[in-house]
Amino acid sequence: MDLYLLSPEISLLATALAVILLDLFVKEKWILGWVSVTGVIVSAIFALSLWGRVETSFGGALAVDQFSIFFSLLFLGIAALILISSTEYSRKFAAFRAEYYALVLLATTGMMLLASTRELISIFVALELTGISLYVLAGFLKDAKSSEAGLKYLLLGAVASAVLLYGMALVYGLTGTTYLDEIAAAISSQGILGSPALLMGIVLLVAGFGFKIAAVPFQMWVPDVYEGAPTPVTAYLSVASKAAGFAVILRIFYEALGPASLDWGMIFAVLAAITMTIGNIVALTQKNIKRMLAYSSIAQAGYIMIGLAAFTAEASSAIMFFLACYALTNLGAFIAIIAISNKINSDEIADYSGMVRRAPLFALALALCLISLTGIPPTAGFMAKIYIFSAGVNADLLWLVIIAVINSVISAYYYLRVVRVMFLGEPLSEERVHASSGLRIALAITCLGVLLLGIYPWILMKYSEIAAITFLP
Amino acid sequence: MPNIAVWAIFLLPFLSFLIIGLILRPFFNNRPMLSAYTTIIAIAGSLILSIWALIAVNGAENHVLTDVSYQWLSIGDLVINIGITMDSLAAIMVVTVSTISLLVQIYSIGYMKGDGGFARYFAFMSLFTGSMLGLVMANNLLFLFLFWEGVGLCSYLLIGFWFHKPSAARAAMKAFLVTRIGDFGFLVAVIFLYVKTGTFDIGELHELALAGVLGGTTLTLAAIGIFSGAVGKSGQFPLHTWLPDAMEGPTPVSALIHAATMVTAGVYLIARMFPMIASSETAITVVAIIGGFTAIFAASMGLVATDIKRVLAFSTISQLGYMMLGMGAVGMGYASGAIDEHHAMALGVAVAIFHLFTHAFFKALLFLGSGSVSHATGTFDMRKMGGLRKIQPWTYATFLIGSLSLAGIWPLAGFWSKEGILHEANAYAPVLFWLAMITVFMTAFYMFRAVFLTFHGEYRGGEEGSHGHGLHESPKIIIIPLVILAVFAVIAGWLPVGDFLGADVHFSFFGALTSWLAWVSLIFGFAGILLAYAIYGRKLLSAESIGKSLGPIYTLLIRKYFIDELYERIFLMRFLVDGVFVVLGWIDAHIVDGAVNGVAMVTMTGGKVMRRLETGQLQVYGLAIFVGILAIVAFLFMFN
Amino acid sequence: MDNFGYIGIFLILSIGFAATMILLPVTLRLLHIVPRKPNPTKYTTYECGMETIGKSQVRFNFRYYYFALLFVIFDIQVVFLYPWAVELSQLKLFGLVAMMVFVLIIMVGFVYAWKKGVLKWK
Repeated sequence: MDLYLLSPEISLLATALAVILLDLFVKEKWILGWVSVTGVIVSAIFALSLWGRVETSFGGALAVDQFSIFFSLLFLGIAALILISSTEYSRKFAAFRAEYYALVLLATTGMMLLASTRELISIFVALELTGISLYVLAGFLKDAKSSEAGLKYLLLGAVASAVLLYGMALVYGLTGTTYLDEIAAAISSQGILGSPALLMGIVLLVAGFGFKIAAVPFQMWVPDVYEGAPTPVTAYLSVASKAAGFAVILRIFYEALGPASLDWGMIFAVLAAITMTIGNIVALTQKNIKRMLAYSSIAQAGYIMIGLAAFTAEASSAIMFFLACYALTNLGAFIAIIAISNKINSDEIADYSGMVRRAPLFALALALCLISLTGIPPTAGFMAKIYIFSAGVNADLLWLVIIAVINSVISAYYYLRVVRVMFLGEPLSEERVHASSGLRIALAITCLGVLLLGIYPWILMKYSEIAAITFLP
Repeated sequence: MPNIAVWAIFLLPFLSFLIIGLILRPFFNNRPMLSAYTTIIAIAGSLILSIWALIAVNGAENHVLTDVSYQWLSIGDLVINIGITMDSLAAIMVVTVSTISLLVQIYSIGYMKGDGGFARYFAFMSLFTGSMLGLVMANNLLFLFLFWEGVGLCSYLLIGFWFHKPSAARAAMKAFLVTRIGDFGFLVAVIFLYVKTGTFDIGELHELALAGVLGGTTLTLAAIGIFSGAVGKSGQFPLHTWLPDAMEGPTPVSALIHAATMVTAGVYLIARMFPMIASSETAITVVAIIGGFTAIFAASMGLVATDIKRVLAFSTISQLGYMMLGMGAVGMGYASGAIDEHHAMALGVAVAIFHLFTHAFFKALLFLGSGSVSHATGTFDMRKMGGLRKIQPWTYATFLIGSLSLAGIWPLAGFWSKEGILHEANAYAPVLFWLAMITVFMTAFYMFRAVFLTFHGEYRGGEEGSHGHGLHESPKIIIIPLVILAVFAVIAGWLPVGDFLGADVHFSFFGALTSWLAWVSLIFGFAGILLAYAIYGRKLLSAESIGKSLGPIYTLLIRKYFIDELYERIFLMRFLVDGVFVVLGWIDAHIVDGAVNGVAMVTMTGGKVMRRLETGQLQVYGLAIFVGILAIVAFLFMFN
Repeated sequence: MDNFGYIGIFLILSIGFAATMILLPVTLRLLHIVPRKPNPTKYTTYECGMETIGKSQVRFNFRYYYFALLFVIFDIQVVFLYPWAVELSQLKLFGLVAMMVFVLIIMVGFVYAWKKGVLKWK
């Protein structure tokens, strides 16, 4: 049992506890944010030092491989950006700043564990660690909308957990083990591949994780929770939580249900088509930018599910690459929204009119991120879509890719409408919009990342390919 | 090692952009000078490396120092490389770009002093320079296109630098949209070429074109597509309308756009793709005709403009037309079989790039000079100037040298490069040659009209200068770049640029005066100067009465042939801006809403459920989860 | 499909039973087999028993929940500590350290609650 394999998670947990304790004994509260960021960086250094090792520990429950480290680093990067961009926003709940940072760190720990555990009960515990932290964060503002968001998320999350647990119980009952590799062995040796009970169990697992990734028909909570939650938390939910869901689905379907998985392509393909279509169609009519991005994130989940439907090494590499690009892009968009909305106190798209003259850099950054979400070069979103679509085509899913391309065209309308309002509309007031340096740094990092991955995607793609090969030695 | 140094040429300004954007502007915003120094150090580094590269290229085999490609992307069968090349063409360009850029940055310290966006300005200038340097070094069309768009983006940001001024925001938008029309053709051509040949590599494309593998209609369409990109960027007719309006940006930006970056990119692109484009007779003839026509067309509008920067802008368009004409003429000679392949390929590039090289110096000088004038008077309107010769002696002297050089007076830089182009045009495109000759006359006239209106006569400004303490000579930081550029505007023509580019051009200081062509062009030039002197210097003829007697022609010129109005009414505003949004609005109203309504009408109950779902009832959400699970199970049992 | 067959039969039976139970009185009433004789006693909430006094939803002071939560946490801790204490001699140092980490984490929570004033009633 090598504790060093768990060092990224342990150091992050220790940072969370330290932040809570520091808050009790220290007067200068501003250091809390930077302590948290430092903890994230330390954890990332530990994770980087593990790159290249392929080992299991804790009796096979914990796997450290390129796949888990890729995701760990993704989660840590997201967390760092969220923490940096929350420094100003957290004034809204100044008395509970430490709790906020600690909960973000705990949720990140849970996600990292989700990507690296290969045992059903550990997966469930990690999922709950993530989930419970996020339920609290969603309701952190304590106003009517935020409380509603927190409560809805909690109740529906509990339903999803119950469904998931039931699915796990069925799988355990049929195979007699909770370890993913042993489940795979049991399925093939006992010949229960076509068993209805196993199918039922897998459907329930899909439903439980479908809730996390916000796939139709498990997406109903998304708009309400995204709209009500504090904006940095919304940003965190929309990228990290989704990525964690995909990580665990990939892990379970490749490691445990590998033999049964080929029949699953069709289910994922149909869900992908429905998810992206519903997400885009409903997003068209939204007037609130956070709600619009909520539906957009549902649509993006649909694109990513093309990779699940394709079920090849190339496709899982494409999923990882897409998630990283999507994380940068969506975070950038949300950070710009935090900066702008904080000042104008509104999330309505109409109030963004003429923003290019009040906040030229933020408007430009937001436009870049929206262009990337649409999938127009030279942005990360374009490369991500090209990659996942070509994986889809290579897996004989041309019909699905055509639906996705049509969807991308539809999505251009609502994404670029915001750009149009910002660039061609008349400003509602002449007051300039300024923001803290934390937000500026975070925004600069995301925008440069979006451009860098759009211009030279290979620097990340080669790592996502290595990580994907973990599954198919 | 050479590779790293060559990459550093264009990566240094990018690094400077990152440093300013990520470190200096967020944290040291109260010390804006740091940004200026960072930019200047980075571009000075580029310049040193460029000069080193130039010397190294000269000593290298075949004049190619490096030509490397790296894998950029591989998705399935699609493998795309990126890479840079450092050959004689790239070397000349990087030296020109970094020299001009460095001087412009130094000048900007004085010019932009006290502006609120000082750091932002230098960040964008770094990015602009870096993109242009990358553009001239790219060895692959896709990579080149990337920098091409980068240059376009920076020009948008810099022209609209004072974005709170509606006219600046509008000019920036116009520049962006108009050049985008050309870029669209360029992009289509790049993709078309890739589909036909399977490569983006410029060298490979040339081999295919020269070997005749790539030919016929395919080649012609691709070549014209690429040329359309150059037309947009270089402000050639009919996409020239953005360039005069681009004056809304700060003057050093105009100098940079006109002399070294942005507009020269179009000429460079044609030079870089010359072997391929010249392989299509139709395409190269189009290049020659558009170039020749633009030269005289833009010069005619320069005759009447009253804004000094606009005069210079029309002059740039006209001179870029010359460069296109030079390449077009050589290409026509090659197509008709008058020049052999080896000689033609070098010669076409050499005449155009030589003029680009000399033009960069005197045009930058003239722009910075006009900035210096406006620094004192607070205006660019020549009708409100006059008599500045005594107040700004340094500015006057340097501006005069620049004007003489542009007018093509022996032995200044402009004479030599213009001579090269006229010589080739006379040999292979006689009609266009006479158009170019008339342009020589017009050029001399409008430049000296500007000189006399600005520096001679009496001051007509009335109110005091922009700084409220009277008219004065500009500070040293502005004058020094002017003087350096003036030196180059004299000597740049004596440098063996043509030979360096592989063309067999014999340079002889006095020998040039033995040809009849030189004498004719000099006579045309002096005639223009004398006419300007008669009208604006001596007032022997009244400008107003001439204007009146020419009546409709004068109106036509002052309104720029009504092309702006044409585009505004019909093309740009109606079609591009309104049209796109009308189409989007129509899609919204009919297709999107129609689809939503249609869905709702067809499945009334479904529609009701959808609406109820959006009211946010938790029970419904939970129900949806279970209905979803049941639906998946049903689906599975049906198909398994 | 054997197992699922049983489940299917069970499903049909249970739905059928529930439906019958609901529909039976309605049908009997409609067929006028059951007479309709309302009187005030039948309409009271509890036919036999007291009417409720005050609101049916009583609000407790939320501080009770704080204490209840803290109690549950320490209760669970003891549940873990008991078997650990019994087997400590075999678990050796590793067991000791592991449990110390566990206790430490809970201690952080306790200190947090204490400092935040949860333990004070007012």
